[in-house]
Amino acid sequence: MTSVITSVCLLNYKDDSNLLVIVIDTNPFEWEHPSAPLKLNLALKHILAFMNAHLAGRHDNRLAVIASHVGASKFLYPTLNEPTPGSKVQTKKDANVYQVFKVVNDAVLTGIAKLLQDPRPTLEEKDLGSSKIAASLSLGLCYINQALKSDGMGHVKPRILVLTVSPDSSSDYIPIMNCIFSAQKANIPIDVCKIWGEDAVFLQQAAHITEGIYMRPDDPRGLLQTLMFSFLPDMFSRSYLHLPGQDEVDFRAACFCHKRIVDIGFVCSVCLSIFCSFSPVCSTCRTKFAFQPLLPSARRLGAKAGASNPGSPRPSSSSTPSAS
Amino acid sequence: MGKHTEQREQKAEATTFMATNGRRQVEKDDDDFVDVDDSSLQTNQANYAWEEEYKRSWDVLQEDEHGSLAGVVNSLQKAAKRKRQLRDTDPIQRGIIRHLFILIDLSNAMQEKDLRPSRLSLTFTYLEAFIAEYFDQNPISQIGLIGTKDGLAEKLTELSGNPTDHIKALKMKKFMETGGEPSLQNALELARNSLIHVPAHGSREILVIMGSLTTTDPGNIHDTIARLMQDNIRASVIALAAEVQVLKFLSTQTKGTFGVAMNEGHYRDLLFEVIPPTAITTTKASANLVQMGFPARCNDSAATLCACHGKLTLGGYKCPQCGSKLCDIPTECDICNLTLVSSPLLARSYHHLFPVENFVEVPWKDAAMTTACFSCQKTFLSPHKVSVQLQSTTDAGRYQCKLCEKTFCTDCDVFIHDVLHNCPGCLSQPRRRAGGVIA
Repeated sequence: MTSVITSVCLLNYKDDSNLLVIVIDTNPFEWEHPSAPLKLNLALKHILAFMNAHLAGRHDNRLAVIASHVGASKFLYPTLNEPTPGSKVQTKKDANVYQVFKVVNDAVLTGIAKLLQDPRPTLEEKDLGSSKIAASLSLGLCYINQALKSDGMGHVKPRILVLTVSPDSSSDYIPIMNCIFSAQKANIPIDVCKIWGEDAVFLQQAAHITEGIYMRPDDPRGLLQTLMFSFLPDMFSRSYLHLPGQDEVDFRAACFCHKRIVDIGFVCSVCLSIFCSFSPVCSTCRTKFAFQPLLPSARRLGAKAGASNPGSPRPSSSSTPSAS
Repeated sequence: MGKHTEQREQKAEATTFMATNGRRQVEKDDDDFVDVDDSSLQTNQANYAWEEEYKRSWDVLQEDEHGSLAGVVNSLQKAAKRKRQLRDTDPIQRGIIRHLFILIDLSNAMQEKDLRPSRLSLTFTYLEAFIAEYFDQNPISQIGLIGTKDGLAEKLTELSGNPTDHIKALKMKKFMETGGEPSLQNALELARNSLIHVPAHGSREILVIMGSLTTTDPGNIHDTIARLMQDNIRASVIALAAEVQVLKFLSTQTKGTFGVAMNEGHYRDLLFEVIPPTAITTTKASANLVQMGFPARCNDSAATLCACHGKLTLGGYKCPQCGSKLCDIPTECDICNLTLVSSPLLARSYHHLFPVENFVEVPWKDAAMTTACFSCQKTFLSPHKVSVQLQSTTDAGRYQCKLCEKTFCTDCDVFIHDVLHNCPGCLSQPRRRAGGVIA
């Protein structure tokens, strides 16, 4: 009998409080697109229900919500940054609602409403299509870092959930990779729910490297179901579940010059740009190379590629420098 | 370990270089006899571990005018957190593909207990952490370990890009045995012989960890140093005992760094300073395009032999050039010598090329403008609640990015520069170039 109790205690010990950082992509150009299968206000209902479910799971579960908007990234909850006088009045007690839920729901809804009402900042063309996922991930990681520091016992188990609809923004490649590696170092899984649209390659890699879940729901209108069954279980419960994994992630590299997938490529020893053929000068960092390796295939390719290399894509501005 | 007697004849009469000045940073000419000025020693705050007085940790704490210790404790904690050198954030060429040999002194001097538990065991503990961090930051670089004792040098591990090999070697008991005198020249020559075969695009580096004040060399060490300079090898030195003239000469001649570990923490700092890739100083056209393979992961239904260990395995990476199967990347194909990497590994090095700008400290007089850290939402200590007297001794604990003008707390500042390498404020802005990337 005692052995059963101790084993249960041991299990409970591992089953710690969870800190869930939710990054919501609020890109209005995608959500309000005529072909969007789910509008933002409806999706928010699903997401709020999911947040409440997370908070209800354990008394000391914690939550942070970050909006990844077009050209901006902001904390929706908790917001200590700008205590507005209006919000205090709204969070007065409602006898029919659990107070914790109400505070979160109000904060998220008012925050998103404020973001959408904001006079749109001057945006560049390339900002339009995508949201600031890299910024939101950075904010989330800083928040988790602080939370882990202030939690002396080391019991908080953090994880990040990204709900996204926007396509990848190629200029975000390096910042996203930096986020992924810091998350991996700190053992923070990044779960990704791509609600619709084509696969987000960077985030797919994020989930793969940090051992999180990457999923696209079959039907976006059933978002809540996907969230509840796949993303609600914490890391402790996941060891008992068989959750949908992702297929092999393609980590093959694409060259910076033609975006071709390469098996064997040439890498600039200074800036690590990948090229499919030899060129005497690195188009990224303008380094002149010492000599041409005596490879017949490289020579042949080099002659061909020399003419068709007009642009000089940098690792930052080029689209998908890595996998396809 | 008296087995090497027959080999000892290769070293000629022992040329011994004595430690000269016992104090770090004392600049004197080579030939000068240096007498250590005792009066300057006492003014120097940081003493060597062995000459430290008996420490009373409670002496450091002093009450403020309200009789409270909280403010002092806070500022002490902050100072410790903030203890990081401001990095050079200029976009310069850095040698990202590195080849580093670590020369470890395994002589009797390493048994000294001035660094606790002993110089040797502390070195091995730190080296384990160092190797893990080194490969984390320099994923396509290589390390080799060389030990020197009884006047001989021995390779503990060959140059390789696999951290587990080195860490395994460090854990082996037989390498922990010490004996006799170290031989700096033998060790340097051994490292040089391996490094000259390294392709020119990679940097060649040697890190010497020396506990002894003497060295037993077969010939003239200045010849070896000249050869190192000629082969473009950079040698950095961490001395555990005191500043030794020849070691300092070695590091200055080869453009390396030199440091004397004063205590355990300082030793660790010196060691970890080697981890970020160094700027390329030579003007020689050493850059080149390196041929690399990007193997796809394969999962076979039946187990096949891997080329690296000769073991039956199911999964692995297939070399795109010769088709042999290898267990793990990054590595060099054992069959055709092609460097095999994956694109995320290359991406891991990008942050050295686009570092985050240093944040500037916000003085107390401007502190009222911000109430909370931008990235972690922690509220700052309001300047109105801190007495003027305390303000003069502490800093405001907020740091500002010059580009986006967002303010961060100490924890986030350290985290952003040491781990994340992204400025969340710059990334959150509409048009500002993200994380130092110039589009």
